[in-house]
Amino acid sequence: MPRDELERRIRDAVTREIEGGRPVLEGLEGRVVRRLARPAVRSPWWTRAMASLADTRIGLGWAVVGGVVTLAAGIFAGRGLFLNPNALSAAATDLFTVAAPGAKAVAVVGDFSAWQPIALFDHDGDGVWKVTVALPPGRYEYAYLVDGRWVGQDPLAAEYLRTFGKYVSVRYIGGDGE
Amino acid sequence: MEGGELELIQKSLQGDLEAWGEIVSRYKEAAFGIAVAILRNRADAEDAAQDAFVRAYQRLDRYDLSRKFSTWLFTVTANVAKNALRRRRPDPLPKEVWTADPAHMVWQEDMERSVREAVWGLPESYRAPLVLRYWHDLPLEEIGGVLGLRLGTVKTRLHRARALVRAELTARGVIRDAAG
Repeated sequence: MPRDELERRIRDAVTREIEGGRPVLEGLEGRVVRRLARPAVRSPWWTRAMASLADTRIGLGWAVVGGVVTLAAGIFAGRGLFLNPNALSAAATDLFTVAAPGAKAVAVVGDFSAWQPIALFDHDGDGVWKVTVALPPGRYEYAYLVDGRWVGQDPLAAEYLRTFGKYVSVRYIGGDGE
Repeated sequence: MEGGELELIQKSLQGDLEAWGEIVSRYKEAAFGIAVAILRNRADAEDAAQDAFVRAYQRLDRYDLSRKFSTWLFTVTANVAKNALRRRRPDPLPKEVWTADPAHMVWQEDMERSVREAVWGLPESYRAPLVLRYWHDLPLEEIGGVLGLRLGTVKTRLHRARALVRAELTARGVIRDAAG
């Protein structure tokens, strides 16, 4: 068998096997993004709070606020179980969006990110900032940071919590909040 | 760099997961190809590709923007797959892996089946360069970069890989001799 024919047959054999694997690759983007958006293993709250305090990327003040909110979320978790969740529509489940014309930097922080900032973007410059974060069904507490200013009352939220003078928004993904 | 790729990488560096999702979409099949070349199992290769994209995102600040992104990403993928291969012992035989896939039940022609089994029966050290060469169409230097091999080693392994496939086809009687 000439070398070029052997190479062609090798190429065919390799191509068939790899392209036959396409079905397992469907949705890989979502699986990767979900893993990145949510810590794979949730450490205890005190470990996360200490990590936030040790993180030099955010100011000490915000780290303290994040820790307080995390603690408050734990205290009020039981109360949240009795609330009737007003679930968002399916189209909005993963989308965090906030109108902030003229802002220089917008981020969302929440219990899904261990209260670490996830940047929002305003690609078309219309003042509406957004980011899509794929999250599994559940109840999530969050707030926006608009140029460093805490915005805890998202108009799209199902409800708000007010603790220690700060609001936190709550949304339910999946409809039942479980 | 492909159109918009640099922008996607820069957005990813700023934490834009949507941009990274687009990178995954563009490269998932190529990364899967490398992983399956090393692991020889689609389910394990999908896991490895997923791990590779997560690791690459977490280490994106180490990527030198002046270098070719695909080579860096493929190197991460190959390392993740090799680590997975080391953890997984023994390496399953190709027959046990592939015959369960119904897509291949129709693939009965002798020559095709023989070539397939000969290629996927090669040791990983020969199989991986072969896949990078004949499916990814990578230049020899880039194959060396991805697998951490010198150019001479890549050439030798490709030559031996072809010789092993030819010898296997001869032994099975689907070609008459090893010459050519």
